Amino acid sequence: MKGTYLGEFEEVVLLAVAIRSGEAYGATVTTEIEQQMGRSVNLGAVHSALHRLEEKGLVRSGMGGMTAERGGRSKRLYSVTATGQRALQEIRQLRNQMWDAIAQTAWT
Amino acid sequence: MKNAASPQPPRWPRYVLHWFCAPHLVDELEDDLNELFLQRVRTIGERRARHRYVRDALSLLRPSLMKRKPSNQPSIASLHSTMLQNYFKIAWRHLAHNKSFSAINITGLALGLATCLLIGLFILDELSYDRYNAKADRTVRVFFRGSMQGGKINEAHVMPPVAQALKADYPEVEEATRLRTAGAPFVSYGDKTFRDGAIAYADSNLFRVFTLPLLQGDPQTALVRPNTVVITEAMAHKYFGDESPIGKVLTIKSWNASYQVTGVMQEVPANSHFHFDLFISMASLADAKSPSWMTSEFFTYLVLPNGYDYKQLEAKLPQAVEKYIGPQLQVAMGMNMKQFRQSGNSIGLYLQPLTDIHLHANFAYDLTPPGDIRYIYIFGAIAVFMLLIACINFMNLSTAGATKRAREVGIRKVMGSVKSALVNQFLIESTLLTLIALVLAIGLVYLLLPVFNDLAGKALSLSVLKTPWLVPGLVGLTLLVGVLAGSYPAFFLSSFKPVSVLKGGKLTVGARSLGLRSSLVVFQFFISISLMVCTMVVYQQLSYIQNKKLGYNKEQVLVLPETWLLGNKEEVFRNELAQDPRVVNVSVSGFLPAGPSNSNNFFVYPETKSNQLVKTIRYDVDYDYIPVLGMQLGAGRNFSKAYGTDSTGVILNETAAHTLGWDDKALGHTISHTDNEGHKKTYQIIGVVKDFHFRSLHEPISPLVMVLSPNSGTVIAKVKTKDIAGLLASLTQKWNKLSTEAPFTYAFLDERFNDTYRAEQKTGRILSVFAGLTIFVACLGLFGLATFTAEQRTKEIGVRKVLGASVGSIIGLLSREFLKLVLIAILIATPIAWYAMNRWLQDFAYKISIEWWVFVLVGVIAVGIALLTVSFQSIKAALMNPVKSLRAE
Repeated sequence: MKGTYLGEFEEVVLLAVAIRSGEAYGATVTTEIEQQMGRSVNLGAVHSALHRLEEKGLVRSGMGGMTAERGGRSKRLYSVTATGQRALQEIRQLRNQMWDAIAQTAWT
Repeated sequence: MKNAASPQPPRWPRYVLHWFCAPHLVDELEDDLNELFLQRVRTIGERRARHRYVRDALSLLRPSLMKRKPSNQPSIASLHSTMLQNYFKIAWRHLAHNKSFSAINITGLALGLATCLLIGLFILDELSYDRYNAKADRTVRVFFRGSMQGGKINEAHVMPPVAQALKADYPEVEEATRLRTAGAPFVSYGDKTFRDGAIAYADSNLFRVFTLPLLQGDPQTALVRPNTVVITEAMAHKYFGDESPIGKVLTIKSWNASYQVTGVMQEVPANSHFHFDLFISMASLADAKSPSWMTSEFFTYLVLPNGYDYKQLEAKLPQAVEKYIGPQLQVAMGMNMKQFRQSGNSIGLYLQPLTDIHLHANFAYDLTPPGDIRYIYIFGAIAVFMLLIACINFMNLSTAGATKRAREVGIRKVMGSVKSALVNQFLIESTLLTLIALVLAIGLVYLLLPVFNDLAGKALSLSVLKTPWLVPGLVGLTLLVGVLAGSYPAFFLSSFKPVSVLKGGKLTVGARSLGLRSSLVVFQFFISISLMVCTMVVYQQLSYIQNKKLGYNKEQVLVLPETWLLGNKEEVFRNELAQDPRVVNVSVSGFLPAGPSNSNNFFVYPETKSNQLVKTIRYDVDYDYIPVLGMQLGAGRNFSKAYGTDSTGVILNETAAHTLGWDDKALGHTISHTDNEGHKKTYQIIGVVKDFHFRSLHEPISPLVMVLSPNSGTVIAKVKTKDIAGLLASLTQKWNKLSTEAPFTYAFLDERFNDTYRAEQKTGRILSVFAGLTIFVACLGLFGLATFTAEQRTKEIGVRKVLGASVGSIIGLLSREFLKLVLIAILIATPIAWYAMNRWLQDFAYKISIEWWVFVLVGVIAVGIALLTVSFQSIKAALMNPVKSLRAE
């Protein structure tokens, strides 16, 4: 397992997978990120991030979800693993901790 | 894809994607792309959706998505030895099982490879000319070209002072050396006299220009002193045996000269543009110091600095011409260079690289008869075509016989073989076949090399020592042919779907590749037919030349070219000859319209108009010359003893009369000639001889004048006898009575004439052999295909016969489709062959026009051969008893 350091884009992708839980694959993840962030994302970047996340053990994939849309071909569905979940929570916790540490006077 | 109305993403990124990305990922990526595209068409419009599609697709081309899934199947890299053994075993069984197909393939390939080898040896030999010289890439030869009064001058040799002048004037000339031919007189040492050595005069720096190693003697000084000679090893052995040749003296009695041997050299290599056995120092030749720029007999070579473009020096040569030829022109013709040019004349010195001399030179006279780059191209093309035709046979027969291998492919695939392994297998098979063919081809080449050498006038050998490229070349050739012939069948056969071939369903593979097979057959016949047309045209042109009215009679004319050997007894011999009843007439002249001849450029002008200079050839003849050669007078009379003034008379040929502007009114006019020293001589025209061809038919007839001039050395006799052998015997006897040492030599004029066209005859013969071979190999393939079709349609033929079809109709049925292909080939070949042969004929000043019936004849022959080939099989099939073919069902 490579280091569990999570890049910014990886974090976003991981979150998108979590949001689309159950139907998370390349196209939906891309759409989700685009809608949430309001900017266009390259499919290639998403796929490559998904690969990295899988290598790090933060997501896992399985074949499934045949739809007529894809000519009856099954697709690779991603889901967040327990490690992934923990990683997201750790980041969130870290952020919160840092937010809390900011003195009120800093904004004035 | 959905329905046609819905927007479609651009197609090319998909191909790129499939090319780059790992196969186990690519479908998924593509689906994602399509889904996003459809979604975006709805949200942001089709145009931008397409744009994004491309961007996304390209963004997917990244290393992490290209990685192949590690495969557990054997790949090309891991050819197991057991698998290899199996391939060889199956290949061998397949060859042994299909004996006729294997024989056809191997024969075709062996012939193709043998042709390729022979032609390869030939071409490499031609290309290697003069490259043995260490300075070959920077040595050039000076030549002389120009035109005077429409007459072309194109000479490989230049004036005596050229070498010295260019060396003195241009610092970039590192060395300048000259060669001058000196014939092959008798050379004696003691009581040993031979005349088979070719002699040249050579400047002392010869060995600094050409790489001709000396075995004995010092190359720097060997040719410095007058009356010294360097001889080849073979000559040294012949004259001196085991004695040391250095310091010995060779004598040439006819020149009244003797030469001291100062060096022994290796033989001049066979692939040199000059071949001499004795090099006499130039200092021995008085003419070599001549300052005249009006004669040209010296082959002159310059060595230039490394990396120097000879064109630069060539661009400076007009200055030299102006500087040196200008003043002498003034003296000889009474006009300066400018006037000379203004009256439409031009002369100049040019350079040609040493390595171009053999293949790119085209001079009326050169040190050895040159090769011709066009023949290199023609033969190269033939070699490639032969090989292609043989490869096509293999492709056609393999794909036609595909049904036989289909089951094997199916089983192999089911057992886990992948496509690449099958491709490998079939390539190994075709290479194996090629290898067998190669062994046969090498055997063939060994057998045929003497014949080919005879045909091509070469001394080629298939020796690994002489041609180090041979082994790697052969390996490369085998692999190339194996892959070329095997690739299409390999991919074709390995692409069978196991399900369809193993289910035993009707295989449509044969039909699928039928189109390709047909076009390949058309291609084969196109080549064969073109070659046949070319061969026929070449032969027609040759026979046209040989039978053309030449303007003189070459039959029964005996030429004795060596009568000067008799010295003062020549006259006696001549008279004895003239008294022989079998001899009609005798003339003495070294000027002959066929074969080696004296030749004398002669500038004349009509009456007093010295600016209307005409370049003519001067023939020095006697009273009997015209009747002996059977030439016709168009006007006036022959030289005659009855007129005392004939020494100032001249006979023109019709072309000269025309060029001088008199046409048929030339009689009585005068022409003048001014020699190098400015002396003028005037001749009165007493006759006009009808044009006769005195040079090869490549060249148009040029102006010629005949003057009455005492001449000796060569006797020409018109004979009239059926007993040529008896005549020659008695002549030999007479000769031997007069001459003590020189043997009697003779030739017939028609033989000398034929020698002139030896190159063409050679080409014609080689071309016809190869044309025959190509059509043979193409027919082999056709035979194989016909066999296959007949086999495949056995049942159909059986049914047809049962239903009452006649033998004739079945033969027609089987032959028709092949005939169609041959006819298409004829249609394609006709214009192309016509064009090519027209180009070839351009080279002849006198030529045939290509007749339509040549194409018809060749077409009929091609159809006939094809029909014969096919009918053998189709008749066999048509005669078969239907019971035999149908009872299995």
